[in-house]
Amino acid sequence: MSTISRRDLFRSMLGRHAEPTAPSVALPVSDEAPQLALILDRFCLAYQGSFCSVCSERCPENGAIVVVQGKPHVNPDFCTGCKVCHEVCPAPKNAVFLVSRKPRQGMVARPTPEPESP
Amino acid sequence: MNLIERRTFLKTSALAAASAAAAARAQSPAPPTAAADVLKWDKAPCRFCGTGCHVKVGVKDGKVVAIAGHPDAAVNKGLLCVKGYHVGGILYGKDRLTDPMLRRNGVMEKISWEEAIDITARRIMKNPAGFGFYTSGQSTIPEGYAATKFMKGGLSNNHTEPNARLCMASAVTGYISTYGVDEPAGCYDDLDACNVLLMWGNNMAEMHPVLFSRILDRRERGQKVTIIDLGTRRTRTSEFADHYLEFRPQTDLAIANCIAQQLIESGAWNKKFVENHCAFRADADITKPDLMGVAISFDDFKNRIAEYTPEYVSGLSGLSVEQLKMLGDLFADPNIRITSTWCMGMNQHTRGTAINRLVHGIHLLSGHFGKPGDAPTSLTGQPSACGTAREVGTLCHTLPGGRLVAKQPHREQCEKHWNLPAGRIKETPGYHTVLLFEKFCTPKDKGGDIDTIMVQVTNPGQTLPNLKKLYTAKIGLEDKFLIVSDVYPTASTEIADLVLPAAMWVEKNGAYGNSERRTQQWFKMVQPPGQAREDVWMTIAIAHRMFELGHPGMKDKDGKFIFTFKDDAGNEVPVWDYAHFHDINADRVLYEEYRPLTHIKHKHVAPYDELVKATGMRWPVVEQPDGSYKETRYRFVEGEDPFVAKGKGIDFYHSTTDDGRAQIWFCPFERHPEEPDTEYPFWLCTGRVVEHWHSGTMTMRVPQLRGAMPNAYCEINPADAAAAGIGNGDDIIVATRRGEITLTAWINGRGRPPKGSLFVPFFDEKRLINNITLDAYCPISKEPDYKKCAARIRKA
Ligand code: SF4
Repeated sequence: MSTISRRDLFRSMLGRHAEPTAPSVALPVSDEAPQLALILDRFCLAYQGSFCSVCSERCPENGAIVVVQGKPHVNPDFCTGCKVCHEVCPAPKNAVFLVSRKPRQGMVARPTPEPESP
Repeated sequence: MNLIERRTFLKTSALAAASAAAAARAQSPAPPTAAADVLKWDKAPCRFCGTGCHVKVGVKDGKVVAIAGHPDAAVNKGLLCVKGYHVGGILYGKDRLTDPMLRRNGVMEKISWEEAIDITARRIMKNPAGFGFYTSGQSTIPEGYAATKFMKGGLSNNHTEPNARLCMASAVTGYISTYGVDEPAGCYDDLDACNVLLMWGNNMAEMHPVLFSRILDRRERGQKVTIIDLGTRRTRTSEFADHYLEFRPQTDLAIANCIAQQLIESGAWNKKFVENHCAFRADADITKPDLMGVAISFDDFKNRIAEYTPEYVSGLSGLSVEQLKMLGDLFADPNIRITSTWCMGMNQHTRGTAINRLVHGIHLLSGHFGKPGDAPTSLTGQPSACGTAREVGTLCHTLPGGRLVAKQPHREQCEKHWNLPAGRIKETPGYHTVLLFEKFCTPKDKGGDIDTIMVQVTNPGQTLPNLKKLYTAKIGLEDKFLIVSDVYPTASTEIADLVLPAAMWVEKNGAYGNSERRTQQWFKMVQPPGQAREDVWMTIAIAHRMFELGHPGMKDKDGKFIFTFKDDAGNEVPVWDYAHFHDINADRVLYEEYRPLTHIKHKHVAPYDELVKATGMRWPVVEQPDGSYKETRYRFVEGEDPFVAKGKGIDFYHSTTDDGRAQIWFCPFERHPEEPDTEYPFWLCTGRVVEHWHSGTMTMRVPQLRGAMPNAYCEINPADAAAAGIGNGDDIIVATRRGEITLTAWINGRGRPPKGSLFVPFFDEKRLINNITLDAYCPISKEPDYKKCAARIRKA
C-alpha cells in the first residue's frame, strides 16, 4: 500500500468545500500558541446518542482522534492542533474546542477519557 | 433552548393541544405570522428518513431559526441525528428554484405559473395515455392522494409510480404474499422488548441512527440485548454488534432457508403456531415467479428445504457451520424474543420478494411473532414510503387503502367514492418505474410510448439505476417532454423541459407515515421563496386547467370537476386559483376524503384533527366509546389489534387463503445475474451515509453536512488497494459493464469492506454512481438491485 498520508486524503476529499462550516462557539484561537483539540461531550453527537465520527475520519494525523465504541477521543500525543476537526464538526453546536497546550492557572482540562471497557 | 424559549414553547404547545384552538387552526392554515423577535415553536416530522423523528421547529421573523428534537415524541424522545439537527438549513440554500422555467431553443427562460400550468395541461391532453407521473415516498399523503386520483380516476392512466418502487417494493410484495396485506405487524416498541436484534444487511447506525441508539440505550441501562449484524460488509453498526456474520452477497436466501431447515430437522419449529395460523406456499414455476404462488404441503416444504443444511449453506455463504447453527438455535429457543429488521439490503435485491418472504417465514415457523419483541419488521428508507406510496397507493398497480387496479370491486369502490362513472379506472397496471423511464427514453417509433413525464419530490436523474439507459438517453429525443418540480437545481432538472419551483417541508402543510405505521402531520410555518408553490396545488391546478380545456376525465359523473373543496359554510373554494389556495386547509380536505378509503384493509388512519394534537399515531386508529382515539402497536394480535376477535389469539384477517392463515414460503437460493468474474472481479454495493439524505439535493446545501461529507468516495479493502497500487486518497476508476466513473479511494473507510468488494455512496451529484449500476430487478416487486453488480478498479 502506498503511503499517502491522511492529510492528503483529507485534502482530496475536502475538494471544493473548503469554506467554513458550523458557526463556532469555540473561543477565538491565536495561531501562535500550540493548540490541542478538546471534544466537549455535551455537544458531541456521538456522545449524545447519535452517530458521528467525522472529526476522526478527517483528522490528518494518524491516531490523534480515535473512535472507541462510536465515540471519538483526542490523543494529545498526536494532536497537532491543526483545527481540521473543529472545521468539519457537524454538531449543531460545534463540539471541538481548541485549547492552549499550556494550562492556564485555575483551568482544568480533561482531554483524554478514562479508558473504556469495550 | 434558553429559558424564555422554553417558556414560549410550553405556552404554544399548550395552546396547540387545546382542541378548539387546534380545530380553528386546522381550518385557517395561514402560516403563523410570528411577531417580531418572538421565537415561535411548532411541531413537524423530520423531513428525511423513515425513522420518523418528530422535531420542534422554531420560527422567528418568518424564518426557521431553531430545530430541536421533540421531547414528547415516542419515536425519538428528543434525540435527532446529524441530519435532523440541520433540517432547518435545507430551506435556505442560495440556489432555491423560485420561478417556473421553460426550455426554449435549449435555454431555460422564466415563465409565469399560468403559462406553466397551461403548457403542462395541453401537453398531457395531446396524448393522455403517454403521460407518466413520477412521485415519491417523500410526497405528503395529500400530494400522493391527489396524484393518484388525478391519474387513475381522472386520466384513466395507471402510469403513476413513486420512487418507493426503488426502495420498498420488495417489502410490499413480501408482506402481501405472506399476510395478504402490506406493512409491518410490529413496531418500534419491539426494539425495547427484544432479547435479540437480528439485522439483515441493515446498517441501522448509519441509516436509522435514532432507532439504533434506542437499542444501545438499553445496553447503557444495563439490559442485555444481543445484536447480530448479518451483513456483506462491516459497517458502523457492526462495531456495536455482539456477532458480525459476514456472508457472500445474495446468499441471505440460503441462510434464511438454513434456519428453517434446522428448525424442521430438530423438530423445534412451533407446531401449535403453525398448525393454527400458517400454511405453506411456493412458486408454481420458479422460472416464472408470481405474487401469490401455489399452496404446498408441509411435507413438500420439508423436502424442499432439506438440502439447506448448515454444511451446504456454509459453503455457499461463507458463514461457518457454527454461526449458522447459532442462528438456528436462536430461532429454536421459544423463551427469547427476536426482532428482525431490514431495509435496502433485502429490498434492493434481484430476489427481493423471496428474501422478504423467507425472513417472515422463519419468524412464523418458529413462532417468533406477535409478542412484544418478536417481530419481523422492515424499515422504510423514506419518511412516507408507508404513509404515501404504500397506504395511499401511488404505485402503478395500486389504489388507495391497499386496493389493486386489477380488482374489479376495488376499482368500483374508488369510482363510487370519487363519484366517477363506472369503468373510469383502467384495470391494467401501468408501467413500473424502470419500465416507465425505459419507455420514456426510447424513441416513439421503437416502442417508447411514454412521451411526457412529470416528476415531483424526487430526483430520478441521480437515483434511477443505469442512468445512461434510463434517464440521460432522453436527451435529443425531440418528441419527449420532461417536467420536473423541485426545490433546487438537480441532475433531474438539468435535462428537464419545464421546471416548476416547489415549496418544501414546513413551507407547506403536510402529513407523512413512517416505518411503524405512524401517521404524522404538520402545518405550514414559513413562506416558500419567490414563486415556489405546493406540489399538491400544482396537481390540482393542472387537473383544473384540463377541466377547463374540456378533458372528459376531469369531470365526475355529474359533470363537475373531480376535486371539490368546500369551506365550513359549504361554499366551494377555487383552490386551483393560487390566490384562494390558502383560504382553506386543502390538505385536511384531501386527507379526510382519503381516510375512509383506508378502512377496507383495516388501515384506519387517524382523523386529521387528532394528528394535529399528537406527535403521530399508529394505525389502525379506532374511536373508543368515550370519543377518544386509540392507536395500535401490534397488528393481528388479540388485545392489541381492535380487529382481532376475542379468543382468537392471533388472526391474519387478510389472509391470501381467506382462512386467517399467514403463508410460510419456500423460495430457493438463486444466483445473482451479475456475479463477479475474472473481467469484473469486485462486488459493487451502493448506499447512503448518515450526513446526507438520498441524492444530497437538500443536505449538500447545509454547510455543516456538506463540510462533514463533501464528496462521494469508494471504500476498498487494504489488500485489494495494495494489489492495484492504490493509496488512500488516490483517484481511482471504478468500471462496470455500463461505464466508469472516477472516485477517491478510501481504504477501509467507514465500513471496512471485505476483500473483493467496494462501497460507493450515491449522494454526490458530481460523481453519479448510478451511471454504472445494474438495472436488473426482482421479477415480482420490480425493484432494482443497487447493492450488487460486478465491477473492476484501476488507478486513475
Ligand atoms: S434523518 Fe431520520 S433518524 Fe435522523 S433525525 Fe431525521 S428522522 Fe430521525
